Amino acid sequence: MFKAISTTARLSKSQISRSLPAFSTGSSRYASKDPSSRKEAPKIDTETVIALPEEAKEKQVYDSQICVPTKVDLSPITGVPEEHIRQRRVRIYQPPKNAMQSGTNNIHHWEMEFDTRQRWENPLMGWTSTGDPLSNLKLQFASPNEAIEHCEKNGWVWYLDCPKTEKAYKPKSYGINFSWNRRTRVSTK
Amino acid sequence: MLSSLRSGVQSLWRVSSRALQTSSTLQHDSLFVHRDTPEDNPNTPFEFTPENKQRIDALLAIYPDGHKRGAMIPLLDLAQRQNGGWLPISAMHKVAELLNLPKMRVYEVATFYTMFIRRPIGKYHVQVCTTTPCWLRGSDTVLQAIKEATGCEVGGNSPCGKFSISEVECLGACVNAPMIQVNDDYYEDLSIEDTKEIIEKLKRDEKPKPGPRSGRFASEPLGGLTSLTEEPTGPGFGLQDALKA
Amino acid sequence: MLRQPLSRALALSSPSRAAPIAAKRYAQVQAQPEKVEVFIDDKPVYVPPGTTVLQAAAMVGVEIPRFCYHERLAVAGNCRMCLVEVEKSPKPVAACAMPVMKGMRVKTTSDLTKKAREGVMEFLLVNHPLDCPICDQGGECDLQDQSMAFGSDKSRFTDIHFSGKRAVEDKDVGPLIKTIMTRCIHCTRCIRFASEVAGVDDFGTTGRGTEMQVGTYVEKMFLSELSGNIIDLCPVGALTSKPYSFAARPWETRRIDSVDVLDPLGSNIVVATRTNEVLRILPRTNEEINEEWLSDKSRFACDGLKRQRLVTPMIADSRGNLTPVEWEDAIVAAAQAIRDCPPSKLVAVAGELADAESLIALKDLVNRLGGENVCTEQYFPMEGAGTDLRSSYVLNTKIANVEEADFVLLIGTNVRFEAPLLNARIRKAFLHKETDVALIGPEVDLTYEYMHVGDSSSILKDLATGSSSHEVLKRLQSAKRPVVILGADQLKGSEGPALLAYTQELALRLQDQLEDKEWKVLNVLQRTASQVAALDIGYKPGVGKVLQDGPKVVFLLGADAGVVTRETLPKDCVVIYQGHHGDAGASIADIVFPGAAYTEKRGTYVNAEGRAQQTLPAVTPPGKAREDWKIIRALSEVLGARLPYDNLDEVRDRLAEISPALVAYGDVQNNNYFAQARALAQSLQKPVSGKLDVQLKQLEDFFMTDAISRASPTMAKCVQAVLKQKQSPY
Repeated sequence: MFKAISTTARLSKSQISRSLPAFSTGSSRYASKDPSSRKEAPKIDTETVIALPEEAKEKQVYDSQICVPTKVDLSPITGVPEEHIRQRRVRIYQPPKNAMQSGTNNIHHWEMEFDTRQRWENPLMGWTSTGDPLSNLKLQFASPNEAIEHCEKNGWVWYLDCPKTEKAYKPKSYGINFSWNRRTRVSTK
Repeated sequence: MLSSLRSGVQSLWRVSSRALQTSSTLQHDSLFVHRDTPEDNPNTPFEFTPENKQRIDALLAIYPDGHKRGAMIPLLDLAQRQNGGWLPISAMHKVAELLNLPKMRVYEVATFYTMFIRRPIGKYHVQVCTTTPCWLRGSDTVLQAIKEATGCEVGGNSPCGKFSISEVECLGACVNAPMIQVNDDYYEDLSIEDTKEIIEKLKRDEKPKPGPRSGRFASEPLGGLTSLTEEPTGPGFGLQDALKA
Repeated sequence: MLRQPLSRALALSSPSRAAPIAAKRYAQVQAQPEKVEVFIDDKPVYVPPGTTVLQAAAMVGVEIPRFCYHERLAVAGNCRMCLVEVEKSPKPVAACAMPVMKGMRVKTTSDLTKKAREGVMEFLLVNHPLDCPICDQGGECDLQDQSMAFGSDKSRFTDIHFSGKRAVEDKDVGPLIKTIMTRCIHCTRCIRFASEVAGVDDFGTTGRGTEMQVGTYVEKMFLSELSGNIIDLCPVGALTSKPYSFAARPWETRRIDSVDVLDPLGSNIVVATRTNEVLRILPRTNEEINEEWLSDKSRFACDGLKRQRLVTPMIADSRGNLTPVEWEDAIVAAAQAIRDCPPSKLVAVAGELADAESLIALKDLVNRLGGENVCTEQYFPMEGAGTDLRSSYVLNTKIANVEEADFVLLIGTNVRFEAPLLNARIRKAFLHKETDVALIGPEVDLTYEYMHVGDSSSILKDLATGSSSHEVLKRLQSAKRPVVILGADQLKGSEGPALLAYTQELALRLQDQLEDKEWKVLNVLQRTASQVAALDIGYKPGVGKVLQDGPKVVFLLGADAGVVTRETLPKDCVVIYQGHHGDAGASIADIVFPGAAYTEKRGTYVNAEGRAQQTLPAVTPPGKAREDWKIIRALSEVLGARLPYDNLDEVRDRLAEISPALVAYGDVQNNNYFAQARALAQSLQKPVSGKLDVQLKQLEDFFMTDAISRASPTMAKCVQAVLKQKQSPY
């Protein structure tokens, strides 16, 4: 079971990197004048450029050995209006902890959301209205790779936003409040 | 009996009108926030006397460097004694300044301990023990007598400004109940007459003799000792002969 | 932006590269003691000795309920909510304070644990009012949530004496924090925060037993620039936000993750909105920048976003009054003015809240017209390496690494108000790492003790040349991880270049001596959110020279600091102002373009350490206001100097062309060429005689520093309240 998961994980990962060589750096970035015609978010491949020979080789081995299904682009058949595919930008992120609360149970997943568009107060009832059908589409994923795959399948431009939220581990100590000659002692409770 | 009467009256009353229940506030006799008063405000002058400054130096010398804050309670006590039995906020500020502490740390200590009194009180602070042993031995009547003699309510000052009364929990003299504490002295085994006499003397600024009023020396039985009455035995008592020199 | 996913995705796919260079932590490398095996609900976990039971449980994903415990504050152990059963222990133990022992078996779901939690909860609720429906914390309340799990469905609290529940009078701690002290459960988090993080020891507990209350004892405002954080920390509704009171429920708002621009650190924030209105701003955890704190200005100035806004383009009529016009008219009028002006007489000035996209658009436009005069309001010396080397104008140590420093030298900066969260880091180092701090500059309250070396700039010269006999020099030289922070405000005077040169000399000399070759000593603390991006893009710092040449058209991009005034400009000069607030800039303008504030656009901001981050649109710009780069793009079209980008991606491609760092969101690069900068600065080491002074000395100076906070009524109330508090004897 675990093996299967790791294989799929690797598959999805290599899928991302597999498409890398297709994008070169420098002038070709401007080859297509219309960026909205690009299907994917990745563009410059600095990692490939600076990769060590071993890493490049490893990547090649993966590319040659693993048979990856062809990339699916559902956008022509989903019926989603062109505007909501080409103009939208998907943010893939881990929900931040609510600063007002201590609990962390509901933040261990990844989410995708679309850019905010205009909302207004509906004059009828005072509720919030929007003309954006995707404004309430908030999907949850177990890993960023799944989210990326989903976005690519639907033709959305995505980006990952992951600030460092993990704290460097430091044992907490009650005794430090009473340490003899440290400044932490000055603290009160 | 009485309570059943009360509930009966209440139920009668409830028939005619809606019960409007107000909660009586549970109140401590002192306040745990500071209110500026003409007597007690940050501008109240307070300065330690030269003698007390010497005492402070001696006290601070006990505590190692970096731990001078340990002297807070002795310093607050000095300030309270110097200021006639109560602790104005300016004295707390002074102590904070001496110990180089945030003022809040001093407020915390001064409000925690009930023996720090943060309102102006009379020259004689009468603390009446009303915990069970004293209460069983008639502390209520003692308290009543004091109230009548001084014209002062619990938690307040007398009109003459000389007395303040507090009801306190056990002061650890249960054997000599009922008892009161006036400033630093215990008056024990009190009767109403004794109490009145003590108050009268204090009114004249004479110092009544502290201790039990029942003729006892301390907390020995009233009718004389019941044990350990014989002469103390000498050294070597009960020792094996072989061990005797 | 489109580059971002790739590097991230690759980082994900190759674990060896997952850690960016800058994220290296300078943790103390010690011989790791052997780990201890403990069992949490029979799940084994190996933890370092000294770990608390609560932390060990967190490692295996078991969350123990808590009220008083907070991982960024000292352990108090007074709420007892974290009681758990430990095998062979006769009583339940407080998990937050109990260190693990070898082979300890902790049961977090046992009957005893459950009973203990229920008991604690019952006691807490005895004295907690049942006013959730009118409580602002409702919906995001720890007590509310935990009472759902551990609370009883009926109350055993029978008030036999009709004495009522405990009630505590509310405190007045200023215009930001509303207190409803009856709700307080005495977790003392606010006290510990005030004492440890904020460094303002004004909170405490008074009284004892049932009469104990949390408060200030005397009537006193909480005089801290970080006071808003105690609202977040409070696990119940005892401390809530005054400006936000009764405004919304948490489930009604939408939360958009964004970045703050009101100080140079770029704290991560969450903007809560409802119906196109920003209701409040909360911090978002980012260990590398703001941890989970936020300064009061960043948190509470958001009501300034609704006031004094420019909502329509305007042109000054014949009497000089600004009158609303259509976009077309305003742009045509501006284009005419620019076209009539020789390129050398066209000056563009960027203000403190400008995003990188509009900065690049404006610079490209001016350059395309043949002009060169694009500058920022803040000055920075161009002598020596000037702004060519990035290491000269950013925080090279990085904000998070300041915690690891063992000696900090501050030069001409009041970090407490210029970058409150950097100061919080220094205070953290001061408390936990015994770091010592020295300051050259005016004596200010930094919330911790420091050595005051003096305020004359010659001290810096002596330190740099090594001729000083002051103790600070010895301390700096013996320090393993020294940090030198220079306030950018010092650089505007005539001695600026020399001060920078000396600082570089001092810092780099120290850096050369270090064993740790990765450690960077030199830091320059900028004052504004836009400055680093502007310098990266190639703006000239300071307006002094170009204004003296008598410009004909001045384009102000949110320049509200009052550097450009009507008096310094020729009579016939046309001033075009583009920005979001009617502040100093708009008041002198002939043509006004309404732009978008930071909550209304997707904009790139580079923080003081050189980390690019982007804000996300939370609401739409009011009225006819538009995103800033789009306005400049439209103007370029009318001017006939069409800018070659039509959408945000293309603008960002252009940014990446200039510097990939500008679009590497979230990452920060290590800077190099320190030696070269030092060499170039050698000739600038001229004698200095001035005094160092800082602009923000007192708390009242902190609140209103930019167009948004100046428009904020809450910030105005803060200033008033602080001034009033200063009158008080407490």
